[in-house]
Amino acid sequence: MMAYDERRILEMLREDDISRRRAFESIVNNFSEQLYWQIRHMVLSHDDANDILQNTFIKAWTNIDSFMGYSRISTWLYRIAVNETLTFLNRQKTTVPLDTDEDGELSIADRLESDPYFDGDLTERQLQEAIATLPDKQRMVFNMKYFNEMKYEEISEVLGTSVGALKASFHIAVKKIEEYFNNID
Amino acid sequence: MKKESLYKIDERQARRPFTVPQGYFENLTQNIMASLPEQESIYSSKIIVTPWMRIRPYLYAAAAFAGIFFCLKAAVGINSRNNEAQYAQAEETTIYSDEYIDSFLETAMINDYTLYYTLVESGN
Repeated sequence: MMAYDERRILEMLREDDISRRRAFESIVNNFSEQLYWQIRHMVLSHDDANDILQNTFIKAWTNIDSFMGYSRISTWLYRIAVNETLTFLNRQKTTVPLDTDEDGELSIADRLESDPYFDGDLTERQLQEAIATLPDKQRMVFNMKYFNEMKYEEISEVLGTSVGALKASFHIAVKKIEEYFNNID
Repeated sequence: MKKESLYKIDERQARRPFTVPQGYFENLTQNIMASLPEQESIYSSKIIVTPWMRIRPYLYAAAAFAGIFFCLKAAVGINSRNNEAQYAQAEETTIYSDEYIDSFLETAMINDYTLYYTLVESGN
């Protein structure tokens, strides 16, 4: 596997098919894990995150010729991943949830408790439940900042929102989560 | 979780409570690459370059220069013709009054012969 050199990769993407594939493989290798976690924190389920990640890279690959290099590759990939995730979440909202019990829909904390790929304690399950109450975009900002430790400037490039608005959004998200826990107690 | 815990959020005490199947990330790149459709690059498409295609840009450039040259030439030609016409008209329309000619002849100290010679020489 070649080392990640963005300038060289951009050159290779404009060469023959073998070079393009090699360059894209390097992109996948470099960004797939961080993108996976970004998606996973939004959709919570590993299978869903895996599907969205695959779709993200397929979309990036089929549109690679339209990538002009005006932004960094990571920013471009994050934008695709964000769009794919939001599309998935919107579709999920309009479909009837399958994992419901007699009383109705299972809480996120309950779903996570039965998820074999979740090893958090009760507090962490409740934290996920609290995060899930946030609007999608606010949740995206919170996850990017809190779990993925992205800088506001990076988030701003991906979401196309000003740094000031992002800081406000994160602050409001923290307050809401705080309120959620206060209400539990 | 109380307020104290939330302050930890601000202090980046985040822990990722999610896990993945064993070996997931080790095989992730291969799995993603295997799922990509075959795609031909717009940059790698084979284009047969004919001699006409090779000289076409030069011909277009030459035609453009020729066009500019003729446009400039035409514009300059029209201008110079206009100037000549204006000159000719000015020469033709310069009419001196008899009084002016008489006073000029008186002060110029030239005789009739010199005047006749000058007029013949100038073609008037």
